[in-house]
Amino acid sequence: MSTLLAELADRALDEVRRLKVGYADVRAVREDAESVDVRDDRVESVSRGSSSGVGIRVLVDGAWGFAATSDPQAIRRTATLAVDIAKASGHLRGGARVRLDDTPPANGTYTTPHLRDPLDVPLADRIAHLLEATAAAGEAEGIAYVEASTDAWRKRTVLRSTEGARIEQTVLQVGAGLTAWAIGGGDVQTRSYPNSYRGQYVTGGWEAVLALDLAGHALATAREAVALLTAPELPYREDATIVLDSSQLSLQVHESVGHPLELDRIFGMERAFAGTSFVEPDDRGRLQYAAPIVSITADATTPGAMGTFGFDDEGVPAGSNDLIRDGLLVGFLTNRETAAEIGLRSNGTARADSWGTIPLIRMNNVSLEPREGDQASIVADTTDGVLLVTNRSWSIDDRRDNFQFGVEASYEIHNGRLGRLYRNGSYAGRCVDFWRSCDALGGPEDWQTWGVPNCGKGQPGQVARVGHGASTGRFRATVGVR
Amino acid sequence: MSAYGADRLVGLGEAALRTEGVDEVEVYLQRADTALTRFADSRIHQNVARSDGQARVRVVVDGARVAVVATNDLTAEGVRAAAVQAREIAVLSMPDPRWPGLADPQPYGKASPADAATSGADPAWRADLVARMLAELPRNVYGAGTAETDHSEQSVVNSRGVRAYAATTRAAASILASGADSTGWAQASSPAVDALDPASLGRTAADKVLLGAHPREVDPGHWAVVLEPGATHAFAQWLGWSAFGGKTVFEDRSPLSGRMGTQVCSPLITVVDDAISPLLPGVPFDPEGTPTRRHPLIERGVAVGVTHDRASAALAGTSSTGHALPAPNHNGGSATHLLIEPGADSLDRLVAGLERGLLVTRFHYTNLVHAMTSTITGMTRDGTFLVEDGRIVGSVRNLRFTQSILEALSNVEAVGSDCEVSTDTFDGASASPAMRISRFHFTSTSGH
Repeated sequence: MSTLLAELADRALDEVRRLKVGYADVRAVREDAESVDVRDDRVESVSRGSSSGVGIRVLVDGAWGFAATSDPQAIRRTATLAVDIAKASGHLRGGARVRLDDTPPANGTYTTPHLRDPLDVPLADRIAHLLEATAAAGEAEGIAYVEASTDAWRKRTVLRSTEGARIEQTVLQVGAGLTAWAIGGGDVQTRSYPNSYRGQYVTGGWEAVLALDLAGHALATAREAVALLTAPELPYREDATIVLDSSQLSLQVHESVGHPLELDRIFGMERAFAGTSFVEPDDRGRLQYAAPIVSITADATTPGAMGTFGFDDEGVPAGSNDLIRDGLLVGFLTNRETAAEIGLRSNGTARADSWGTIPLIRMNNVSLEPREGDQASIVADTTDGVLLVTNRSWSIDDRRDNFQFGVEASYEIHNGRLGRLYRNGSYAGRCVDFWRSCDALGGPEDWQTWGVPNCGKGQPGQVARVGHGASTGRFRATVGVR
Repeated sequence: MSAYGADRLVGLGEAALRTEGVDEVEVYLQRADTALTRFADSRIHQNVARSDGQARVRVVVDGARVAVVATNDLTAEGVRAAAVQAREIAVLSMPDPRWPGLADPQPYGKASPADAATSGADPAWRADLVARMLAELPRNVYGAGTAETDHSEQSVVNSRGVRAYAATTRAAASILASGADSTGWAQASSPAVDALDPASLGRTAADKVLLGAHPREVDPGHWAVVLEPGATHAFAQWLGWSAFGGKTVFEDRSPLSGRMGTQVCSPLITVVDDAISPLLPGVPFDPEGTPTRRHPLIERGVAVGVTHDRASAALAGTSSTGHALPAPNHNGGSATHLLIEPGADSLDRLVAGLERGLLVTRFHYTNLVHAMTSTITGMTRDGTFLVEDGRIVGSVRNLRFTQSILEALSNVEAVGSDCEVSTDTFDGASASPAMRISRFHFTSTSGH
């Protein structure tokens, strides 16, 4: 861990202590990132970036203030500004005094387990790995072009608080993927591997990228993109049986379980922007959110998952917590402020996307527990339905209830067998109706985690990198659009 | 915090130009002091300020090996180190056979000047602005929203002689008023804080929440609609991302591919991109140093223009239109300051022209369903009303729509006279007017 970051954090804590605040935490952070993009047989872009700075968060008379700077010489001024901001917040506090839970201050270190830091892998190796995949995909007859990419982040954080928290953490995240484009007849279709939106993301080292075997899956991916160009549109059908592959189901969990169970959202703190939730605080322990076979946890300790870390940005140690147990809503995603509101301790989901932003309640790894079987056995057990795979678009209302998802590919299921391929597939429904209709979930052999590297929330906007474990699932929903 | 000014910011860029062993260097620098006060349940619950910057250094070696390194260490040493890193990466990369080279120096237009009152606004000022919005809300109606101020500087410096600098300010406020079973929304944005009218915003939101009480459910299907600027904004944004890009059009991935010069929507619709419009704070150059100017994209319903950066322009055999995004960006030029031109009718007249239809305040969480048909989906929120015989007769529960943008714009009957700046959940800003559209496709309803 950089001693420079520790020195910055210690200096910031000293400055803010001098101002006699009720509570303060400071984070000194440096994040390094690299991306490589190739298209067909050429490199489209190679980039590296770094950002470092200090964020100072204070409570003054129960009101929040936060100021951040990238200038190490401006720490005293920034601490003073944070206090001034908190005093202005108190001007309109309306009697609601912020109170934090009694989480004991943590003292510890964490580094993502890995074999090879992806930022240390020679650029030529990364380029060659991607070009091998695009070359393999390019063998598909009729393909327009193939893109492949890899991204890596190394984020070092030093956190200190006036309560005594002292944490140093390094999180490594990495991802890669390819997308094949088929263009013709006035239409465009894409197929991606392992997932859309630049692929699969995990915490770990370059070994995780190698394990994806992009080249080994490239040709089949590209051939299906071409096949989609001439496939029929997925017909409209109400109350259809749908089978979602684990990657699409992971995004369904993200949008219709993860976000609705963020307690800041439930309390209305995001009301004006990303919206609120159909869930009420009193629903905990009462709302039958899903069918009894559905259990969902928020687990920041899942090995290798994108939302795995040692401590959140309030210094709460990573843990695993039930959100839905046997279909019943039993927990929320909380931070120290919102947990205190309902008489609990934070379950450690407060994260900021940089030194310059405040920690918000963000999903860690919100995951469906596996049941039994796999995609093949669920399809074999389905008389009449549709298999929908790989997300293409998503939308959900401002209470996280009415949703519509589009997918890259859909397959007819008839008498337990996969049939024809459809293009432009989508499905839609209402949250609780959908989750209560779940009657099959794949087992451990079908379960994997998926990274979502682009989760937006907050003002100023923040982008979180989160994870979800899921297996194949079967539900009822409306497919297509009439 | 204080601004760097032209000499200091350009000087930082020049520090990288002397990097040994490179053919060309370009530095795009940004500096910003941003502050945002957020409130919910009529109290301030988040209140932040950030002082940050970035230098994006793009270097070229061996004629066409290109790499980009970004840093927020805005010291001469930090920028020089980024250039050296970029050189080290570039020599390991492959030559780009389509590398178009860096921009040559060109004259730039004038952007709106930075506003001293906006850059000097302090936390107490933002709290006072929030208080003035909240003061307009009736009893048992609660407010949530933001008050924000930004002061930013941008500069482009390159080894071919480009030296560009501009400073801008932006002030914005928004309020969502929440009642027992309804919400109302208002927002405004301006380069100058004095142009904001918080009391008016509060009243607008309050009026909507009262008008929206006791919503009823209506059936989805095809409806005539009046969409307020908060909704038509989504049309501009999604066309900007999926249709107007010159590379997208060139590669037959846009709904405008093969349709340039043809009628693609109603003659009532004109769309331009204008980074130096007084409505939208922008600067007179893009991150490659190409001048930005008013750039027509759809003129009276005819597709007339696309957006290019230098690379996509070279691919298509034309010139950059000044729409580069910060490097690296292999998707080509993109419109970032879209304006749909206003028409002649007030919002009241637009509504008066609806025999039976829906008035929509704004959309939520729109997303692209199918690029080639410009079809998007999304939800209504914060005030959706039933109109009969030209009069609002009540509010309705929110609906999901799934609709082709170009088809909707083909069915425009009238365009509002007021162009408003809107922002959306995860989108940027654009300026657009209200529209009356004869046929709009709603596909389901929600419970609120």
